[in-house]
Amino acid sequence: FVPHRGGTGESWEPADAAAVPFLPPNAGCWVPSLAPQDILYRGVLRRKLRAGKSGAALDFAKQLGHFFVDHPEDAFGSLGRLLHKNFYLGNSKLRREARGSTIRMTALMEEIDRLEARRGCPRQHLASRLRWFSHLCRDWLFEVPLGLLADCVHEELLLQWAGLLFDDSPTGGALAWLPPEDMGARTGRLVYPGGQAMNHLYFQDVVLEELPHARGSPAQFELNGRIRQVTAARVDGEDFVGVRSDYHCGVWRVPGRAGAAPTALQVIRTCVPASCLTVSPHLPGELAVCTQSGAIYLWSVETGLQRLRHDPQTMFFRDPSSWRWSDFTAHPRVLSCADRTGLQCLDARAPERCHFDLFKVGEEAGCQQGERVVLPMYLGRAHPSQHLVTTQFSMYVLDERLPRVPMLKWAHMMKAPPLFAHLTPGGPGRSHKVLLGASPTQELLLLQYRGEKWSSGGGGQSACQLVGPPQKLHSVAGCLQHLPTQLPHRHHLLQQRLGTPAAGLAAALQEDGPQESLLVFQLSEAGDVFCQRLTHKAARPPAPTSGDEGTAAPGSSPLFDAPASSPPGLGSEEEEEEQTFYFPAVALRYRRWLKALSKGCGEPPRHAWPPTLSQKRLFTRKELEAPAGTSALHEQARQRLRQAMREGGRIQRWDPPAPQPPALPEPAEGPDPLSARLTAAWSGDWCQWWEERTSFNMAQRQRALRERRRRQKRARGRRSLSASFTSSLTYQSELSELSDGVPPPLSPGCPAVLPREGSPPGGTPLASPAPHEEALLSSQSLRCRGIPKERRKTLRDYLAVWAESPPEPPEPPGSQASQLCIPSSQSQLSSASQPRRKRPRMGF
Amino acid sequence: SSHEHKLNFKKSKEVCLSYIQDAMLQKQWKRAAEFLTFYTESLEKDFSTQYMGPSEMIWRIGTEILCHHSHSSMKEFNSFTEQMKTLGVKRYLKVCLEHAFHLLCNGLIDEAYQNLSLAESWRFGEQTAIQDKEMKLIQAYRGLLDYYSWSKQKTILLEHGQDGFEDLSVEREMHSCFRKAAVNLKEIIKIPGVWDLFVKCYVDLLEFYGDHNEARQVLNEYAYNSKFPANPNAHVYLYQFLKRHGESKKSLISALKILHDIVPSHELMIDFNTMLQKSKKRKKRRLGLEVIFAALDYAGWKENVKAWSCLARQVKQIVISEKHLDWIKQEWNSRKDWWPAFHFSRYLAKRNWQENESLSYEKAVVAGILLGKDCKYFKYVSHQGCKAQVKRFRTLKKFVNKHNPVYLRISG
Repeated sequence: FVPHRGGTGESWEPADAAAVPFLPPNAGCWVPSLAPQDILYRGVLRRKLRAGKSGAALDFAKQLGHFFVDHPEDAFGSLGRLLHKNFYLGNSKLRREARGSTIRMTALMEEIDRLEARRGCPRQHLASRLRWFSHLCRDWLFEVPLGLLADCVHEELLLQWAGLLFDDSPTGGALAWLPPEDMGARTGRLVYPGGQAMNHLYFQDVVLEELPHARGSPAQFELNGRIRQVTAARVDGEDFVGVRSDYHCGVWRVPGRAGAAPTALQVIRTCVPASCLTVSPHLPGELAVCTQSGAIYLWSVETGLQRLRHDPQTMFFRDPSSWRWSDFTAHPRVLSCADRTGLQCLDARAPERCHFDLFKVGEEAGCQQGERVVLPMYLGRAHPSQHLVTTQFSMYVLDERLPRVPMLKWAHMMKAPPLFAHLTPGGPGRSHKVLLGASPTQELLLLQYRGEKWSSGGGGQSACQLVGPPQKLHSVAGCLQHLPTQLPHRHHLLQQRLGTPAAGLAAALQEDGPQESLLVFQLSEAGDVFCQRLTHKAARPPAPTSGDEGTAAPGSSPLFDAPASSPPGLGSEEEEEEQTFYFPAVALRYRRWLKALSKGCGEPPRHAWPPTLSQKRLFTRKELEAPAGTSALHEQARQRLRQAMREGGRIQRWDPPAPQPPALPEPAEGPDPLSARLTAAWSGDWCQWWEERTSFNMAQRQRALRERRRRQKRARGRRSLSASFTSSLTYQSELSELSDGVPPPLSPGCPAVLPREGSPPGGTPLASPAPHEEALLSSQSLRCRGIPKERRKTLRDYLAVWAESPPEPPEPPGSQASQLCIPSSQSQLSSASQPRRKRPRMGF
Repeated sequence: SSHEHKLNFKKSKEVCLSYIQDAMLQKQWKRAAEFLTFYTESLEKDFSTQYMGPSEMIWRIGTEILCHHSHSSMKEFNSFTEQMKTLGVKRYLKVCLEHAFHLLCNGLIDEAYQNLSLAESWRFGEQTAIQDKEMKLIQAYRGLLDYYSWSKQKTILLEHGQDGFEDLSVEREMHSCFRKAAVNLKEIIKIPGVWDLFVKCYVDLLEFYGDHNEARQVLNEYAYNSKFPANPNAHVYLYQFLKRHGESKKSLISALKILHDIVPSHELMIDFNTMLQKSKKRKKRRLGLEVIFAALDYAGWKENVKAWSCLARQVKQIVISEKHLDWIKQEWNSRKDWWPAFHFSRYLAKRNWQENESLSYEKAVVAGILLGKDCKYFKYVSHQGCKAQVKRFRTLKKFVNKHNPVYLRISG
């Protein structure tokens, strides 16, 4: 008794923590493919629709609008030419003689602009003028009748949407591995598409080593369309490579010996997109081609095309899909042909008469409702009469000899239907390895199954057996967390790039003495090739159990941590794991790839001019017109705006401002040493701050000391004089002005730079503590302010007193001034003012 | 907000499931098990009408985890399946069957037997068609186990019988096993399907007790009933049965003829060919040539020395006798555009010569006759053979040179 499932399969362990970039990133700026938000409705209507729980709503109007804007010639060409004299779009008044035959469209344009600007506004009122206009010219203005055009646009939108939901054009995958001629050799070839439009075909020699690497530059062919599928088979020691794009299929021959150049053999053109191309593993130069019109051809390089079937209908029941597939079978003249409903086998010698059903979606195979064939594949290299069929739910292994009853069925539970499959046949007594890959989700599964054995005596066939649990391989997007941390926008870009749908899958078996490993190559739609290695465990010394490995936290990049300095926070088992995976070469690969990527297409092209914004849609012309009564302030602002626009600069602040808000930067700014220190620490030069502060303090103390001495000297000489000045009014007004900290009115010419009080331009922010006081007290500054020499002393004295006096005197500007001065005076001038307190004060 | 709550619940359920899947696919069984314990909460609101509801999901996932988890034991597995059996009435039989399979895989045949018989006695409400089928399947597997114990006792008895010592109790038990097995196996075979295993066992039982007519009837039914899928094995069993009982050539040939029609690439085609070649009837010999040509069409036969020697022998015979050259011509006509590339390329000549000399000899005979002495394959192989001083290659060369006009007639 043998169960269908179970048994222990061969153990293939991933050697690395993630997929590794194998080739430098595909050159050329990669244009992201269509996303659902590009064609779906957004805004009010969508919300409404969602509330009604209907499906996706396509933004048909927007697409039509885009068409009109992008292709005005095609949309309105002839009538536009005829009428352009009669439509006037300018602002000025029409000349008298033109008035008879010309319509001014300006108002209409404005209306349209306004409509656009207020898009999504729920209170959007329909402009009667627009309605009137569209009613008038709906019938004759358009080059293509509007109804017809709308139908076309709608159809295309639906097609695009269907493509977004499920795109079957990359079925089969556009990546092929041509193994070395004998297993001992280490140089194989990888065939993949590349270039900006994925229309270049590359044949790259690859040396299989610890980390496989490309050797030499690839042979390159430029093709006439995006490459959808690359398929290869080896016949008589030569590889035949079939390449499918939408309307062309080509075949190349690659001689087996290393270094021989591939030669293009033949190209065919189809008028309906081809959906399938497979290369015969039996006869050189034979291929099977299917087109979406339902035709299946046997294509021989020598004899040309032979049509085997042409049936736009599906085989077993009605299905709208026009996808067709065909592959070879154990008999070189018998082809399998498939559509979404099942598989049939056709004899090429008599395609009308000889055919039998190989697989039918239905009860016999235990299919689920809605299940459809996604990818059939001939497993001839494992067993001459077996076929693989994948559907969106399950995979089946079929035998031609016992048609319609699957030998093996397994629900793969992949999130997206598997579009790619690859078979690595195992030798006698070994399991066959099947890789399944999905496109949008980049899923990759490794399955092992054991085929039937021909039991010579008993003459029975036993069903296939799935061995071991299926295994998930790394996806390309999974390597994001192993890349060095990026700036957010770069990270996003990278995420997008790595997350592009997969476009192909290939695998190479590498035998290195006793060590066996499987190299899995993945191609993304952006044209990047990644690879990962699976090592066969039987050949490995007992490795750490992969049982409960934790996934690396996003952001941590174990590949980049040297083994010695792996973060202590990680669990011990994980550390072990990372260490076994650690490869410096891999890290290097990553870095190089990243560098090439950012050089090639990371940065968007920089324009020489700063970004501009049209204000047309923000305001109507009327609103922009100068109002009748403009104040001086208005005029000033307008002037400044003009100037800024001329210079291409920006207006940072709109000056002159209304009286400054009372608690502006001052309190936070200078005086508080703690905040200054914090600021310094924040900006990273805390040490410097400390040094400067100590030296500053020293200097200040010295200065203050000197000042005091001088003052005392002067005071002794002029005591009498000072007494004569008693009118304090002037001081007060002066003082209030000074201590208020309001900057002198700025000249309207320089709005950009705002000199802030206390912060010397270009100086360190930490130099700010109390220069205010200092400035007030130094005679130079007083002189600058035009204070007569005689009064300076008085002022100084007054200030000195006021600075140290308790807030008893009811000074009018006191509340603010004290706030300003006290902290600084206490901290900095304490030494200077201490002795003066004992002196008799001047009378108030 | 109950709607929202429901939505959130559904979402987290899905997320949890994807975590489990992820863990399982990376063989992190312990992690998967932890997530599964959370997932069991989803049972609370299992109103799903989906193809696979949560309870079934839990059953499947749980079984899978227990099969692979390093710390799981048979006891745990048993208790888990017992719980699963009570979880869903509709699935009861399925779970039982699966449980029995698991027990069998671990060599616990008696437990499996008990399990199956317990399941057999289970009744719940009205039986649906599916349940009926499942029940039949369970009975059939029980029958299979009966057969197993029967054959075990048979070997014991035969060994003892040689010693001239008979054990009546063993014999009685064996007969009761036979009866139980036969009843159950007979039932399942009536349903259209692929029942190779059951049919084989049943026929074995019947043959042992000498009920050849019944056995023949069963096999005929299995092979020829149009309700059953076209199963090549059915014909193989029939052929083997007929051969064992020394049936006439005619009936053997007719059995194989049908097999040939279904699967031209079956390995029995060599037997068929030799049988036909020996026949005196022209028509049969003609068929033999057809059979061997058709078999060699298949990629799997490319390097089959036996088949090539069969073809070489028959072709040589025809050429020497110079009768029925048109047979060869007819067969060759539909193949001459692709056989040269498929079988007789220079690359294959080289490889065949290196890997298997006798294969290259047989193929060279055919190539020389069908494609003439200028054929690449023949030229290369005969040249190498002469160089290596192998006698049969020299005679081959002479033979082909002598009969070269035949080639012209075939290809003309």
